[in-house]
Amino acid sequence: MTTRRRSVHLGATRFIVLSILALHQQAVRAAEGGAPEGSSPAASFPVKVEIFEALPAGKELELREAEPVEEYAQRAFGFARFPTKYSANALPLDRSSAFVIRASLKRALPPGEYQFRLRAKGTARLSIDGESVLTTKPQQPNSSGNDPVPPPVERGNSPLRPAPYPHQEVLATVRLNGQEHAFALSALIGGKGLVPSPGELSVSFGRPGEVPKMLGSEDAPLLTDEGWASYVKEQSLRHRRDDAVRRQALSAGVRGQWDEYHERVRECLEKKPGADLPKVTGQTPVFNEIDLFIGARLEKAGAAPTMRISDLEFLRRITLDTIGVVPSAEEVKLFLKEPPEKRRQHAMDRLLAHPGWADHWVSYWQDVLAENPGILKPDLNNSGPFRWWLHQSFSDNIPFDRLAAELIQMEGSVYLGAPAAFKLATLNDSPMAAKADILSQAFLGEKLSCARCHDAPDHPHKQEDTFSFAAMLEGKPVKLPASSTVPFVEGFRKPRVEISLKPGEEIPPHWPFEQFAIPSELTEKVPASRGVPETRRQIAATMVSPENERFAKVIVNRVWKRYFGAGLVEPAEDWYGAKASHPELLDFLARRFMWSGYDLKALARLIFSSHAYQRAPLSSSAGIPDAEHRLFAGPMRRRMSAEQLVDSLFGAAGKHFDCEELNLNPAGNRGLNEFLNLGVPERAWEFTALMNERDRPALALPVAQSIVDVLTTFGWRQSRMNPVTVRQDAPSPMQTLLLANGVVGTRITRLSDSSAFTEMALRDVPLEELVPETFLRILSRPPTDKEFLRAMECLQPVYADRKQPGALRQQAGAATDRRVSWGNHLSAEATVIRMEEERRLRMGEAPTERLKPEFRERYEDLLWSLFNSPEFTLVP
Amino acid sequence: MIMKTESSFLTRREFLKAGASAVLAAGVGQPFAPSAAESGAAERIRGKADACIFIWLGGGAAHVDTFDPKARGDGKKKPGSYYDAISTAIPEAQVCEHLKQTAPLLDRCVLVRSLSHGIFSEHGAATNLMHTGRRPSETIIYPSIGSIVSHQLGAKTDAVPAYVVMGYPNIARDPGFLGPKHGYVYLTQIETGPNGLMRPPDVDAARERRREELLAAWQEEYHRTHPDDQDFRAQAAISQQGFLMAGPEFLQVFDLSREQPSLREAYGGEFGQRCLLARRLIQAGVRFVEVSFNLNFLNGTGWDTHNEGQLNQHLLIKDLDQAFATLLLDLEKHRLLDTTLAVIATEFGRPPEFDSGGGRGHQSAAFTCVLAGGGLQTGRVIGQTDELGKKTVGRAVTVADFHATIHTALGINPHRNLYTSDDRPVPITDRGRPIAELFG
Repeated sequence: MTTRRRSVHLGATRFIVLSILALHQQAVRAAEGGAPEGSSPAASFPVKVEIFEALPAGKELELREAEPVEEYAQRAFGFARFPTKYSANALPLDRSSAFVIRASLKRALPPGEYQFRLRAKGTARLSIDGESVLTTKPQQPNSSGNDPVPPPVERGNSPLRPAPYPHQEVLATVRLNGQEHAFALSALIGGKGLVPSPGELSVSFGRPGEVPKMLGSEDAPLLTDEGWASYVKEQSLRHRRDDAVRRQALSAGVRGQWDEYHERVRECLEKKPGADLPKVTGQTPVFNEIDLFIGARLEKAGAAPTMRISDLEFLRRITLDTIGVVPSAEEVKLFLKEPPEKRRQHAMDRLLAHPGWADHWVSYWQDVLAENPGILKPDLNNSGPFRWWLHQSFSDNIPFDRLAAELIQMEGSVYLGAPAAFKLATLNDSPMAAKADILSQAFLGEKLSCARCHDAPDHPHKQEDTFSFAAMLEGKPVKLPASSTVPFVEGFRKPRVEISLKPGEEIPPHWPFEQFAIPSELTEKVPASRGVPETRRQIAATMVSPENERFAKVIVNRVWKRYFGAGLVEPAEDWYGAKASHPELLDFLARRFMWSGYDLKALARLIFSSHAYQRAPLSSSAGIPDAEHRLFAGPMRRRMSAEQLVDSLFGAAGKHFDCEELNLNPAGNRGLNEFLNLGVPERAWEFTALMNERDRPALALPVAQSIVDVLTTFGWRQSRMNPVTVRQDAPSPMQTLLLANGVVGTRITRLSDSSAFTEMALRDVPLEELVPETFLRILSRPPTDKEFLRAMECLQPVYADRKQPGALRQQAGAATDRRVSWGNHLSAEATVIRMEEERRLRMGEAPTERLKPEFRERYEDLLWSLFNSPEFTLVP
Repeated sequence: MIMKTESSFLTRREFLKAGASAVLAAGVGQPFAPSAAESGAAERIRGKADACIFIWLGGGAAHVDTFDPKARGDGKKKPGSYYDAISTAIPEAQVCEHLKQTAPLLDRCVLVRSLSHGIFSEHGAATNLMHTGRRPSETIIYPSIGSIVSHQLGAKTDAVPAYVVMGYPNIARDPGFLGPKHGYVYLTQIETGPNGLMRPPDVDAARERRREELLAAWQEEYHRTHPDDQDFRAQAAISQQGFLMAGPEFLQVFDLSREQPSLREAYGGEFGQRCLLARRLIQAGVRFVEVSFNLNFLNGTGWDTHNEGQLNQHLLIKDLDQAFATLLLDLEKHRLLDTTLAVIATEFGRPPEFDSGGGRGHQSAAFTCVLAGGGLQTGRVIGQTDELGKKTVGRAVTVADFHATIHTALGINPHRNLYTSDDRPVPITDRGRPIAELFG
C-alpha cells in the first residue's frame, strides 16, 4: 500500500488533495441483493456517457478532438456493462480494441471536504473542472496461472463493498466550495489480451468517515453490496430495454426490405393456390383447419381421436411448450378465475407474449445449430456464443427466414454473440464443411454428415457436395484437408464407402442441392448482410426461397414435432427417403407459415388452437409409429426436457440458481478467444460445459456444476460438437437419484428463507388452503380427495404450532469467493477456496428458522414426494 | 443383433429404417467392418479381466522423469531426465528413483513407451483424445472409454453404477452418442461422496420412510385415476432402480474407515485414498473406475510441469508411487489383480529439454502409459524411445492400439460396432490393434 501527498490548483478554486491512497487487488465476496423495481424519471439520469472508438494507441484518453460514436445518460459513475453495438441488421458488433468511455456530470455539492474514490481494472482518470484528480494504471495481460491469491478483505463493520480482484482503488480528499463543478471520468476498456468489459468501474464520494455514495444523481446508491447490486440490476435492465428499442430503430430499413419481400412471397403463393381442405363427418371435433386434415385421416383409418384434456392439463402443457416452465401459482389462479370458454384463448395470448418464449426456443436451436461455446481455451470444435443473438431474434420475433438468412451470412461479432459466432469451429480442419452440414440438416432436412469424410453410403450426397457448399460459405474454393478422408490401413479391409475426392483437391463454390435451386426473381430480393461473401447471400436466398417449399416445410415440421412429440416427417433432420404422414397438412402449414411472413408465433397459435393439440397424449413407450400409422389421434406423450425440468424445479420453489458467473477468468486479463464470460444464468439454456478437462479444483464452479449435473443426466448436451434434433434423454436411474438425493433436488425441497414454500407456510391460512396450493404450484392441479386427506394427515398434527416466535429471516449464505481467477488458479489457496465452496454446497442450504423443525421436516417430505412423482416430469 | 441406443422413449426410428440397419448390422453394407482375419484375431485374443481402474495423470506426465528415464539433464541447458534411474523387476527396464515401491513390482506391469499422437498444444483436445481414442468430430460425439466399457459390460450388479469417476466431470469422460445412461457417477472429494447417492444428512430413516410412503400414495392414486398410463408406469419402474442404487450396501463402499488403518496409511494421501476406494468399488461390482490425480497444488502445476512446477515434481511422483504400488499389492491380496486391469494414462509426455523457468513444455511425439494386472502377460516393455525420449523408435503404439489393448483385456472386441441414435455404425476403436504379445 502506498501513500502519496500532493496539492493541486484547479482553476480559480483551490483544492487540497490531502492524500491519495492506492489500495491494490482487494478481493471481496460477491454480494447478492434485492433491487428496487420500477423506472425512474429522466432527472435521475444526469450523467452523460460517451463512447469513443479507434483512438490512437497510447493517447486514448486525450479526447479533446475525438467524436463519440454513442451517447447516453445514466444515474451515476458506475459501469457493469455498456449498450450493445449493432449493425444495420441489428446484429451485435465488436467495438474497437480498446475503446474509451467518458462520463460527465455537472453538479454542485454542499461546501466542505470530500473523499473521492475511483475503482478500475485498467487505465482510468477522474477529473474535476478539467484537472486530473485520480488516475489508475493500465491492466496487464496475464500469462500464467501462478499469481498469488490476494488476502481476504477484512471488512470489519464497514458496509463498503470491497473492490474485486484485481481492481485498483485510488482515493483523493478534495475540498469543494459549494459551486457547480464539472466531474469527468474517462476510462480505457479492453485492449490486447484483455476483455472489453468495465469490471466494477466506479467513482464514489463521501464526507470523511461516511459510507461513500456513487457520484451521480441525488438518489444514487451507496457503494455497499446492496447498493451496487441494485445499481447493476437497474443498469442491466435499462440496457436490455434500450438495446431492444435501438435494434428496432436501427433495423427499420432491413425490416422494411423483409416486409417487402414477404409481400412478394404472398403474391407468389396466390399464383399457386393450395389444395382444397378435406371434409370430415360431424363426429370429428374441429377447432381449425388442422383438425380437418388430421380428422379426415383418422376417419379413413377408422380410428378415434383421444379426448380433449382438462383446462389445467392444457395450461401445464401449453406453458411448458411456450415458455419452457410449469405455470406459476399466480398464472393458475388467474386462469381459473376466467370464464371457462375464454381461459385457453387468454392463456395462449399471455404466453405467446411472454419473454420466456425466446428462452424456450433458444435451447432447441442450440442443439440443432450446434451452438457450442467454450469458456476455457476452447479446443473441441467450439463455436462462438451465438445464443444471445438467437435469444434476441426470438424476443424480437423476427421472421424465421430472416433468422436463417442472417445465420447463414455470419455477420457481426464472433465472441459477443452475433451470427458470426456460428462460423467458429476450433481445431476443426474444415469449419465450413461442418457448418454446411448443420445448415442443410437444420433448414432443408438434408444430412451431409455422412458425406464429410467420404461419399454418403445410404444418401445420394457426395463428399464433393459438402465441400462445394463449404466453398460457398467460404466465398472461395476450399481444399480437402488430409484429415477429412478415410485412409486405407494395412491389414484392414478396404473401406466399403466410396472416396471420390483426394486430399489436397480444390473444390470450387457450388450449390449442391439442384432440386432446391429454383430460379426466381425473389432470390435477388433477400437482403444482404455486410462485409461477407456474396455467395453466402446466394445460399441464404436459395435455401429460404418459397419456390422450393422445402425450407418452410422443414421448419413447420420441426415446430409440429416439438409440440406433438413426433413429426409429420420423420426424422425431422433427414428427409431423404422419408414419407410425410399428412402431406396435405404439411403443405397447408407451410403455406400458412409463408403467408404469415414466416411468423413462428402465428404458426404456434394455429397449432395450439387445434383440437388435435389439446387432446390426451398417446403412449410413447413403443416409440414413434411409422408414417402410415402416425395418425395423431393425440400428441405423443413427452417428458420435460432437461431445461424445462430445471427451470420448473427452481420456478416452482421460487428459487434462483444463485450460481457462479460462467467465467473462469473474472480478472479479465486474457482475450475472449481463450476465456468467455457467459454471465450468471437465469434460465437453464444459459449453462454451458464447464470445461474442467484440466481436472483442477480451483477451476470448478460448484453451484453451476450441480445444475449442469442435472441437465446432462436428463439429456442436455454440455458439448454440442454436432447438430442434434432429438436428444438421448430416456429415463435412467441416475435421474431419479439426482432429484431424490442430489444437491439440486435437496435445494428444491429445502424450506430455506429463499423458498416460496416457506413464505406460503408462514401465512395465516388454514391448512385446507396450503395443501391445495402446494399441489397447484408443483403439479398445476388440486389434489384429489384422497390426496388431500393424505397430505392433511401428514401436516395436521404439527401445523397449528408451526411458527417459531421471534425467529428472523436469515441473510443469504456466502457466495463465490471472487479472489480466484485463471491467473492464480494453480495456487494451493485457490484450490482450498473452491474445495471449501464445494463442501459448503454439499452441506445444503440452511433451513429457515421461522418454521419449527417438526413442521418443516414434514412439509419438506411432502414437497419431496410431489417433486419426485413421475407426474412432475411427464408433460400432460 | 443391433445395439439399440437408449433413445426409444421419444425417437425410435421408423420401422423401415430400423429394418435397413438390421441388414447393415448383419454385415452387408457395413462401411468399416474388420476383415475376417481381424475378427478372427480378435476372437483369438481375448483377455480375462472384468474391471478396470484407470488412473489419470492430467496435465501430461513427463515420461523421462517417470517411467522412461534417460541420462540426466542439468535442469537448464542440458536436456535429459531430472532424476536418477533405478533398476526394476523387469531386467531391461529402469524407472525414476522416486518410483521406489513400484520398481520391484514392475513384473506385474507393462510399460508402453512408444505412444504418440499429434496434439501437444491443447490439454483439452489431448485429454479428449486419450479418453475417447479419437479426434473430435463435428458429426458425432465419441464416447469415453469408461462409457464404452459401461455400455458393453454393464455393472456386475443392478445395485451399483457401471462407471465411476473420481475427479471433475468433463466432456472427455462423457458418454457421447451412447447417451446419458452410460455416463458416470462422480465424486470430487472422498469425504463428501458422490452427488445423488448420499442421502442428505438431515434425512433420517423415519423421514425416508415418510417420503417413500407419501410417494407411494401419490403413485397409487395416479394409477387409480389413470389406469392406462404406461408412460407413468415405465418411469416409476426406472425410479425404483434408482432408489435401489442409493441403498446402504453401496454407500458403505465409500466408507473407508472400514479398512485397516495400516492399509489406509500404506495407500498414502488423498490420491492413495482414491485408489483404495477404487479397489472397494471394483469389489462392489463397478466395471470402470477413473481415478484422477489432480493435486496440482503439491507443486503448483500438477503434472503440467512448466517452469517452477518441475522443482517439486518428485512429490507427485512419490505420491503416485506409494498409491500405485499399494494398489497392486492390495489387488493381489484380494485376488483381484488378475481380473482387474490397472492403467496409468496421461494426455501426452514432456520433452527432455527444460524451459526458461527450469520446467518442461509438452510433447506428444513420444510418451509412456502403464498397464498392470488384468491377466496380461506382464513384466514387459513395449516400444522404446530415442536417446533423449523425443521420438519413438521401432514399434509404435497408437492411441487406438492402446484402447484396443484395454478393451481386449476386458474381453471386449475393439472392432465391434456401436450404433448412434441414427443407426450409424461406429467401431469401438478406429482400427486399433491390441498389443498381441500381452495376451497369452
